[in-house]
Amino acid sequence: MDFELSQDHKVLQDAVRDFVNKEIKPIAMKIDEDHYIPDELVKKMGEMGLLGSYFPEEYGGAGLDMLSYAIVVEEVSKACGSSGVLISAHTSLASGPIYTFGTEAQKKKWLPALNSGEIIGCFLLTEPDAGSDAGGTATMYRREGDEFVINGGKTFITNGGYLGTGVLLASYDRSLKHKGISAFIVDLKSPGVTILKNENKMGIRGSYTTAFAFDNLRVPVENLLGQEGKGFNVAMDTLNGGRIGIASQALGIAEGAFERALAYSKERKQFGQAICEFQGIQFKLADMWTRIETSKLLINKAAWLKDNKKSYTMESAMCKMHASETATFVTKEAIQIHGGYGYIADYEVERMYRDAKITEIYEGTNEVQRVVISKLLLS
Amino acid sequence: MKLLVCVKQVPDMESRFKPDSRGVWFSETDLAWRMNEYDEYAVEEAVKLREQLGESCELTVLSIGPDRVGEVIKKALAMGADRAVHVQDLDAAGKDPWQIASIIAGYAKEQSYDIIFTGMQSQDRGSAQVGVLVAELLGFTCATTLVGFAFADGVITAKRELEGGLKGVAKLQIPAVVTCQLGLNIPRYPTLPNIMKAKRKEIAAIPVTELLKEEPLAATTSFHPPAKKGGGVVLEGDVGELVEKVIAILKDKTAVLR
Ligand SMILES: Cc1cc2nc3c(=O)[nH]c(=O)nc-3n(C[C@H](O)[C@H](O)[C@H](O)COP(=O)(O)OP(=O)(O)OC[C@H]3O[C@@H](n4cnc5c(N)ncnc54)[C@H](O)[C@@H]3O)c2cc1C
Repeated sequence: MDFELSQDHKVLQDAVRDFVNKEIKPIAMKIDEDHYIPDELVKKMGEMGLLGSYFPEEYGGAGLDMLSYAIVVEEVSKACGSSGVLISAHTSLASGPIYTFGTEAQKKKWLPALNSGEIIGCFLLTEPDAGSDAGGTATMYRREGDEFVINGGKTFITNGGYLGTGVLLASYDRSLKHKGISAFIVDLKSPGVTILKNENKMGIRGSYTTAFAFDNLRVPVENLLGQEGKGFNVAMDTLNGGRIGIASQALGIAEGAFERALAYSKERKQFGQAICEFQGIQFKLADMWTRIETSKLLINKAAWLKDNKKSYTMESAMCKMHASETATFVTKEAIQIHGGYGYIADYEVERMYRDAKITEIYEGTNEVQRVVISKLLLS
Repeated sequence: MKLLVCVKQVPDMESRFKPDSRGVWFSETDLAWRMNEYDEYAVEEAVKLREQLGESCELTVLSIGPDRVGEVIKKALAMGADRAVHVQDLDAAGKDPWQIASIIAGYAKEQSYDIIFTGMQSQDRGSAQVGVLVAELLGFTCATTLVGFAFADGVITAKRELEGGLKGVAKLQIPAVVTCQLGLNIPRYPTLPNIMKAKRKEIAAIPVTELLKEEPLAATTSFHPPAKKGGGVVLEGDVGELVEKVIAILKDKTAVLR
């Protein structure tokens, strides 16, 4: 067994770190304040290859592996959780299912523009009345000649505001529950697509979270992704992979906050000494770091299992659950170590605390992760 | 045209350095490693020239050291070098600049390179000797501390940094060695697709014993942190007194007021 990153992964980590320190870190605060990631940064992330890391070169991807992808999301999220989830949702939730379930023609058609970042992807599953219970999808489709016609609405769609390529789940018969659901590749610039709003949020404010209405959205039959009636499988498999991305986002946020808390604890003096001399602070640092390291080990294992084509459902649920709870814990303690200054926006841990919380909610709430893990334990 | 760029792997300068057990260099335990910063500019400049000259040109990257230097070699390949030479040496840090230059020259003399790029110096040893020694050993022309580089009609125009911020311009015939200063260009990021492509490029491994025939000319005898200085002087009094005290100290201890 080897816990060391390979030389190739180290080269990648070093390159992404360099990119993040120069291109993202200096503007992370502004991204939060403006509720917007500059187009210029999205373009640069595309040129750097951050938006197509693990897809084969023949589809315009970088041809690297899942571990590389996890490293990318982690490194970016150390500086900016909003940019981290842009990459994660784009890569594992939009390009991911097209790569896994798409026909050769679909892959050739849709993946190159997604992998280069020319088009930003999203995944449209959640609805106002279908959250954790995705089988309750009420967006309906019917076939008319060579087209499917979609009506309904989706909510909380990360990257939705870019109006790029979406993987959308809709039902043809609600009484069939999840067996009535199919997946489609949609161009969100098509007629019949309306943005109802982009949500105002607690954290990851640079990331779009979009509500859509669909009124006779027409998609050609060749855009059906996977078999008809098997859309629920597409969704579940997609979320499985996506959880490694969200876990990496959470890990990055935790590491970003830890780095600041550690440095601050050495600088800040009270009672005539640096606060890191107090055992009360030392124990916090020890707990924070231990959770960060265990999150990393779980993520690396899940990525390794996926790269080696072994089943990883349990591990991806565990790493998402553990890393997200690490992120909320570590960012909370990072604020505590900063005292009152931590509560002030200038110190960045305030932003990280707000950014961390969502990782316990999306791509399956942590309650749902516990359902997944315990079901597998008891099956 | 054949180009060579020489790169060294150095510890991350943020590291905490401790002397090794022999007390002549730093201990390598727990250090993170990076490409010597000066060499990043050398690689970028070489890659730019490689792009300017197109397919008729080949750029090789060379590094000396243990397995871990594979990381800087791969980085240079991902930045755009065509192929690599890894001179395998478990004790590169124990060799003096003369030996390192001899190893590079030993390899390069069979290859008929037109231009060799190096960093101006390394961030850890900082001797600034390797590039010029390579030029001397190969009989190449040489310019150091480049802040500007252009190549046309077989002639290098090298803008050099001189003392006090002055710049000088030198024209060099090839074959030549140039050593690169920080700020010469903006080193590119190795992109993910290029990191992948780099995996397919050739890395030739050569044991150092095949290339090194020279004994060291200089030896490092001690590596230690600077002696702890005494506490600073705290001046007290009103502003007038403080100014007089400061002026007295400056006159006594420095040359600024003489
Ligand atoms: C910022 C943001 C971005 C998002 N991005 C996307 C996206 O890109 N695409 C997309 O499709 N969706 C996205 N979502 C939706 C997200 O995945 C859902 O919000 C999430 O799955 C929970 O659904 P819900 O909000 O309807 O909560 P509910 O399902 O209503 O859950 C409410 C509470 O009940 C608990 N609960 C529900 N069922 C169970 C159970 N069986 N056992 C125990 N507890 C249970 C939940 O854990 C939670 O605590 C995003 C959401 C947000 C806020």
